[in-house]
Amino acid sequence: MAGLIQNIALFGENIPWFQGLREKGLEAFKHQGVPTAKTEAWKYTKPRDLNADDFVMNESNFLLELAEEKAECHCHEKSCHCHEDGCHCHEEGCHCQDEINVLVDLPFEAYQLHFYNGQFVPIYPPLPRGVEVMTLMEAVLNQEAKNYLGKLVDLANYPFAALNTAYMEEGSFIRLDKNTKLDKPIIIVNHSETGEQNLFYNLRNVVVLEAGAEAEIVEWYKYAGAEKSRYFANIVNEIFVARGAKLKHYKLQNEAFKANHLALNMVNIKEGGKYEAFCLQRGANIGRNETKVILTEEQAEAEVNAAYIMHGWATLDTTTDIEHLAENTISHQLVKGVVGGDAKGVFQGKIHIAKHAVKTEGTQLHKALLLTDTAEIDVKPELEIFADDVKCSHGAASGELDEETLFYMQSRGIGREEAKQILIDAYLDDAVNKIADSEVRDWFKEMIKA
Amino acid sequence: MAKEKPEIADESGDKYKYGFVTDIAADTAPKGLNEDIIRLISAKKGEPEWLLEWRLKAFEFWQTMTEPTWAKLKYDKIDYQDLYYYSAPKQKVPPKSLDEVDKELLKTYEKLGIPLKEQEALAGVVAVDAVFDSVSVATTYRAKLAEMGIIFCSISEAIKEHPDLVQKYLGSVVPYTDNFFACLNSAVFTDGSFVYIPKGVRCPMELSTYFRINAKNTGQFERTLIVAEDDSYVSYLEGCTAPQRDENQLHAAIVEIVVLKNAEVKYSTVQNWYPGDKDGKGGVYNFVTKRAACRGENSKISWTQVETGSAVTWKYPSCVLQGDNSVGEFYSVAITNNHQQADTGTKMIHIGKNTSSKIISKGISAGFSNQTYRGLVRVAPNAKGARNYSQCDSLLIGENCGSHTVPYIENRNKTAVIEHEATTSKISDEQLFYCMQRGIGEEEAVSLIVNGFCKEVMQHLPMEFAIEAAKLINISLEGSVG
Repeated sequence: MAGLIQNIALFGENIPWFQGLREKGLEAFKHQGVPTAKTEAWKYTKPRDLNADDFVMNESNFLLELAEEKAECHCHEKSCHCHEDGCHCHEEGCHCQDEINVLVDLPFEAYQLHFYNGQFVPIYPPLPRGVEVMTLMEAVLNQEAKNYLGKLVDLANYPFAALNTAYMEEGSFIRLDKNTKLDKPIIIVNHSETGEQNLFYNLRNVVVLEAGAEAEIVEWYKYAGAEKSRYFANIVNEIFVARGAKLKHYKLQNEAFKANHLALNMVNIKEGGKYEAFCLQRGANIGRNETKVILTEEQAEAEVNAAYIMHGWATLDTTTDIEHLAENTISHQLVKGVVGGDAKGVFQGKIHIAKHAVKTEGTQLHKALLLTDTAEIDVKPELEIFADDVKCSHGAASGELDEETLFYMQSRGIGREEAKQILIDAYLDDAVNKIADSEVRDWFKEMIKA
Repeated sequence: MAKEKPEIADESGDKYKYGFVTDIAADTAPKGLNEDIIRLISAKKGEPEWLLEWRLKAFEFWQTMTEPTWAKLKYDKIDYQDLYYYSAPKQKVPPKSLDEVDKELLKTYEKLGIPLKEQEALAGVVAVDAVFDSVSVATTYRAKLAEMGIIFCSISEAIKEHPDLVQKYLGSVVPYTDNFFACLNSAVFTDGSFVYIPKGVRCPMELSTYFRINAKNTGQFERTLIVAEDDSYVSYLEGCTAPQRDENQLHAAIVEIVVLKNAEVKYSTVQNWYPGDKDGKGGVYNFVTKRAACRGENSKISWTQVETGSAVTWKYPSCVLQGDNSVGEFYSVAITNNHQQADTGTKMIHIGKNTSSKIISKGISAGFSNQTYRGLVRVAPNAKGARNYSQCDSLLIGENCGSHTVPYIENRNKTAVIEHEATTSKISDEQLFYCMQRGIGEEEAVSLIVNGFCKEVMQHLPMEFAIEAAKLINISLEGSVG
């Protein structure tokens, strides 16, 4: 626990409401501590595997900038990460001139936002009218974030979200005005390239869709450094979907294989709003993508799908919690996973239907494929129902590749390994095909094969 | 919005027809739990030294444990020092025949619908080891069973007469360190049944025990041990009713079953303890640890339960499938009405190769009740070819009840095939309308539909129980429609 609470100066200490929120977060984390294996929500993903004690936090990027007189970096340090225009160090390992390289080639057009080791890279994409994108601190300073930040996170029950709240500084704030429809997706790319240090960073994104707005957001946790570097990314997204708004939220988690990646998506959906999510996890040592959707008003709809594929020693965890609080709400979940090596796949899904939330529909299906004798899969699909007129079901299945199918393919001249790959791809396709945007879908499919 | 349903008079308040107290003097130890009480229980029962030591060890361990809180149950804190841990009907000499048994006791059983005399007369249908509170008062057909080498007696007798068998198997399936309630039971258990089926013997009759809680404030701590040797078969029935009371009664039983090579044990339960009145007052607290170990190859254990009673139920009959090709089955119908709470399910632990298990759980909640299915299917790394199929269906009647499903699935072997399905629904208006249109009253229609819903489980009950269970379902659901 001591390892995660560090005394570092953060920007924005003079803004009372914001600092108050941070203090509440720290208090809540101190109260709960790092969860143990006895904590029900962390039963299978053992928090001790996070090895949370030896991470360091970076000093505030904003404070550094202020101190170093903006725009002129003279640090002459190796591995300078300040990303300033005026850097003249010309040292090997300096990334200041690399900025331009953070932009990535994508098979689809998108507005790109970049973070480098959890710090915002100041490149702002040109955005259409009605769409605002700014850093979290900008949104805090101009009070825009005040009505949203921290409103969805239940600090008392989510220790890592509390920790995130205590140290939040970096992140983005995205807001769409009423009835604004985004023409192409916004992609948030987080480049991790930590090198030797065991970096711990917190990212906080707030997405606000006002009534009738439509958007598509893609998150990409991209790894580009030495394979063995360890870091700990702790991410919280707060997502507000207002009346009739529609958000597509896709995520690709491809962290270094020794990294920890914990993400919590808190989503609040109002009348007739729709949230459609897909998360593909294929990296990290401990990777957890937790989604809590609250369907607060009638006709709200959520689709939370995911897929994971892993080898080695990883633990990949997909946790969902869908709360139906109003009548006529709908949720669907489909999660498929492929587990090889000594890896462990975890799925904890929950559908909660509140009293009087009748005529609701909730489905949930998890399927996993085990490739090796040492792989493990732990599943807990949970239904919690307090209303009688509902249609709810869940299913879970796990098994191995069908030997006969493999044999059939081999008998037709397809090599065994190739046949396996085809079957695995086909297995995950079910879930991946839930992505409505065909360009993004194809990109995810490629990523699965890579 | 749910459609308005016609109102039906709530008559559920006085439906517990087994509510009465037999007035006979009980030999009761003082309230509270400490080493002295345990020594007293042990001494009263004339137990050997090893058992007393085991009890004391369990008690010592129990003091370090905390009551589990993970179940979805809400009940007033139990004051374990405010309970009587020993109460036996006063009788100086153990009865040799039914004639010597206290007349009051016999009357009680008659009211319960298990007249021992009649049973005896019926010869060869059912043997009853009836437990009244904590001490077995009568055991029938023992002689007959003994001819075949079958031992069917109370556990206290078994401790005296077959100490080697008891010592070998007691606590081997449920060790005293297992859980809070099992540990408490290990320290203070007063009686229960012991069944031993020797090698190659097929028990010719259904063995049954009727439990009955009597004497105010007595915690019931039954301990049942069943050992089925190679190639044997036994079907065991357990049925329970309890008199009506305001104070909550604690019941923490243990059932241990050892199944050896090629043997099969079928364990059926109908549980109909006092569920409390319609406002949730009173009722039995039922914390039971039931576990069967399939130790030999091709062994089979089948749990069937119909749970309609108790204010609080905490019960997870489990199967540890150690032997290769062993089979575990769990069939359950749980019905909760008014303010009853049930957190029940099963555990299937696959250890041997080609082991298979099947879980069929049907939950029906009505009134203000809450019900949880909590199950675990675990496949160990060496359990090649393990197979599990689970199905959990819930039926909700009325808008104030809750139904929850919490299955845990842990698979560590790639060749294992695990399937789990769960659905939650209500009785559809069309079905009701169809029945009523044909002249079947609403309550009757509901019980018809519910019985159909439970059929898959009910057909696994022995005939003697099936009829009683179907009646119980109707009684439990009366007044819940609307």
